[in-house]
Amino acid sequence: MVSVEFRGVTKRFGPTVAVNDISLTIEKGELFFMLGPSGCGKTTALRMLAGFISPERGEILFDGHDVARTPPHRRNVGMVFQTYALFPHMTVEQNVAYGLKYRKVGAAERKTRVGEILERTRLGGLGTRYPSELSGGQQQRVALARALVIQPDVLLLDEPLSNLDTKLRVEVREEIRRIHNEFRITSLYVTHDQDEALSLADRMAIMRDGRIEQAGDPAGVYARPKNAFVAGFVGETNLMKAALSQSGGVTALDTPAGGVTIPQQVPGGAREVEISVRPESVRVCDPEYGAVRGRILAVSFFGSTAKLDIRLDSGFEIRALALGAGRRWKKDGAVGVTLEAGDVVVLE
Amino acid sequence: MSSSLSEKPTAGTYFSVAAVLLFFGLFLFYPLFYVFKKSFWVDGGVSFAFFRLMFESAVLRESIINSLLIAVWVTLISAAIGFVLATLMIKTDLPAKGFWGNMFLVPLVLPPFVGAIGVKYIFGRMGMINIILINLGVISERSPIDWLGAPFWGVVILEVMHLFPIMYLNVMGSYALMDPSLEEAARSLGARGLSLFRSVTLPLLTPGFFAGASIVFIWAMTDLGTPLLFEYRAVAPVQIFNAVQSTSENLMGYALVVVVLAITAVFFVTAKFVFARRRVEMAAFGRTSGSMVKLGLPLKALAAALLAVFVIMTMIPHISVVLVSFSQEWFMTVLPEQWSGGFYGRVFTHRMSSMSVRNSLALSGMTIVLVLLVGALIARILTRKKFRGKWVLDVCAMLPLAVPGVVLAFGYVQGFYGTAIDPRVNPVPLLVVSYAVRRLPLVVRALYAGFEQTSVTLEEASANLGAGPADTMRRITLPMIRANVLGAAILAFAFSMLEVSDSLILAMEEKFYPMTKAIYMLMARLGDGPMIASAMGVLGVILLAASLWGAQRLMGRRMGDLFRA
Repeated sequence: MVSVEFRGVTKRFGPTVAVNDISLTIEKGELFFMLGPSGCGKTTALRMLAGFISPERGEILFDGHDVARTPPHRRNVGMVFQTYALFPHMTVEQNVAYGLKYRKVGAAERKTRVGEILERTRLGGLGTRYPSELSGGQQQRVALARALVIQPDVLLLDEPLSNLDTKLRVEVREEIRRIHNEFRITSLYVTHDQDEALSLADRMAIMRDGRIEQAGDPAGVYARPKNAFVAGFVGETNLMKAALSQSGGVTALDTPAGGVTIPQQVPGGAREVEISVRPESVRVCDPEYGAVRGRILAVSFFGSTAKLDIRLDSGFEIRALALGAGRRWKKDGAVGVTLEAGDVVVLE
Repeated sequence: MSSSLSEKPTAGTYFSVAAVLLFFGLFLFYPLFYVFKKSFWVDGGVSFAFFRLMFESAVLRESIINSLLIAVWVTLISAAIGFVLATLMIKTDLPAKGFWGNMFLVPLVLPPFVGAIGVKYIFGRMGMINIILINLGVISERSPIDWLGAPFWGVVILEVMHLFPIMYLNVMGSYALMDPSLEEAARSLGARGLSLFRSVTLPLLTPGFFAGASIVFIWAMTDLGTPLLFEYRAVAPVQIFNAVQSTSENLMGYALVVVVLAITAVFFVTAKFVFARRRVEMAAFGRTSGSMVKLGLPLKALAAALLAVFVIMTMIPHISVVLVSFSQEWFMTVLPEQWSGGFYGRVFTHRMSSMSVRNSLALSGMTIVLVLLVGALIARILTRKKFRGKWVLDVCAMLPLAVPGVVLAFGYVQGFYGTAIDPRVNPVPLLVVSYAVRRLPLVVRALYAGFEQTSVTLEEASANLGAGPADTMRRITLPMIRANVLGAAILAFAFSMLEVSDSLILAMEEKFYPMTKAIYMLMARLGDGPMIASAMGVLGVILLAASLWGAQRLMGRRMGDLFRA
């Protein structure tokens, strides 16, 4: 197991800068996510770890050693490709054993290890099948088994779930979590799906236009997004302008949904700022108890929760996530709205 | 964001590119350059003297005009036939389409040069047709009809019979690519019948049309074997052939070669770049089957009858060659008086023919090795590497389509005179090279398709699992493209066995004769020469048919693509 570090890495394709001066460290045994829209450079970063492309500037370090001159086949990096890239002319066993041959593993041990990994990825009995004879979920697990059996120093997962249907996706997601807990291999997982990242990641980096916008653990990034892009990309949020003023170590915000006083210190003087408030931090109550009043525009009911779109009297539209079915939210009903002061985030 | 394993060319890439360019430089550009130099460079200065002399020569002038006319007629007639056949197949509910589709391709396997042998027996002065007419009392024994009296049309007809399938394949290909919803859209906007056809269908077919036409035109214009067998000397390829044969250096030959090359180049470039540029990107989604004209029963019967007559006509050369090859005695009778299978044995015992079969097998075998090596290098670089100027390789690989065999062979004979590989001394190296150059476009295409179909990701996965480039090539890429490699090898082999112009020009001594040259020389001999030649022709045709069938099985429907420009 190794730690992986990007140090000032830049990669261009012609005129487009795919990866723009990124630096980050993935700790030993960590499941690290790169999350971002397509074209943000996350796949390029991953392919640089695999050695398929080399950085133009900067270094990639495995346990502190620069791997710039190590070709892909000597890196001992396992990779699960988005399309799985199973060799169609080989059986499941042959696919999985492929990498072992190049690691000088004897035939007997090869057989044991292949059998073992197939059991552990719940593919027992499928060894003699060809990839075309497997379901999408099974192919996915073969790809995973093939990458794991070589006991890689680093495991790379390139949108591994994007070719599965919704139900399977949740299943395989749990599978990946289980396998990562078992093997504890330093892993880089690239996706544009925030659910995957939030539910699996030890830490994650949000990328846009080749740059890392924010890195941290999922809860931290969700709770304290640095800017509007991160707030909007990770989870749902209400973005609004607010007038900020400070006095005596207290920061006051005048927002379209009423004034709030937030505990944290925001550097800089009085000015207009952009803030993010998650829907679940928008409290909805009877009209007379809220900081401001409004009227319900639309209700989406989910059983345990309900999503409300509310037009405030000021004209501002806000989304709230209300817990429980205790109240009957009705379209056009009058409500009161209060922001949860502790959850209001001032963006950069 | 697609980038390949080695988006940056490595030292190995540069070495491969250099090797391939050296190959083209030496065996494609140098001989052409030599011919140009010889024809324009006189006494240390640029001169058009030879061109003036050439155009002053009535024979040469006539030859150029004849060749052009042959090419124009063959192209027009083949295009018309190919278009009608393809339209019948796609746009009507003609019964037994599978059967007809196969029959239309049969003529591809008979080189017109071989067919000419048989045709002479059928349409000769004392050939089958005249004997039938004499027996019926329609004509007199003393004044038989001279069917082949106009060798011009004999050549045109034989070449059309061989080449119309290429037009057919290309038009079919265009139809297959066409999104039927385009026609549906036009119909919904009010177009129908002929006006729909003219305004939408036909324009969408033009790219395929010209792709096929350029191959047919160049082929017909520069075919050497057919006019030689009809003893039709007033055409450019035969004049070039004569220029090589003559002992004294005939400098007008150079000028003639330059003119032929210029004509084919103009045609090729026009077809490729002017019309191909209009290639419409066809939609890949929501493909519907398109609408068909329902033929009534009488029309169906009529179409089937006409097609049957047509197909039988296209097979006359095949049938007649087979007849000749089995005929012990055939003189002044409708069918041979005595039959014998013995000429097939003679092919392998007769000195000249048996040696030529051995030579052709060896030459074609060596050709496979060379053409696969060069073709694989080019196809791999084209599909897997990125660097500036890569298109030059692509153009070079397709250039042999525009450079006629006679031109190249002429350049080899003159350009390599007195070198270590002088064909006058030993033609083997240049025969192999010329076969390889001629087949290179086909092989590059077949392998290119293979590499394209094999996702780069598989190669990356292999590298990722620890396999080096050589192991990846051996265990992943080659097994994946095996069908294409085999198909390309088979086709290259079969076409090399039947390559005419290079063989006729380059092999000058009997001990080096390939099969086609032996066929030509045997035809001229009395006695059993023509029968042995026919038997060899039939064997060659069987080989080619089997090869095409095998390659089709291996490569599937995409094989039609290989015969396009």
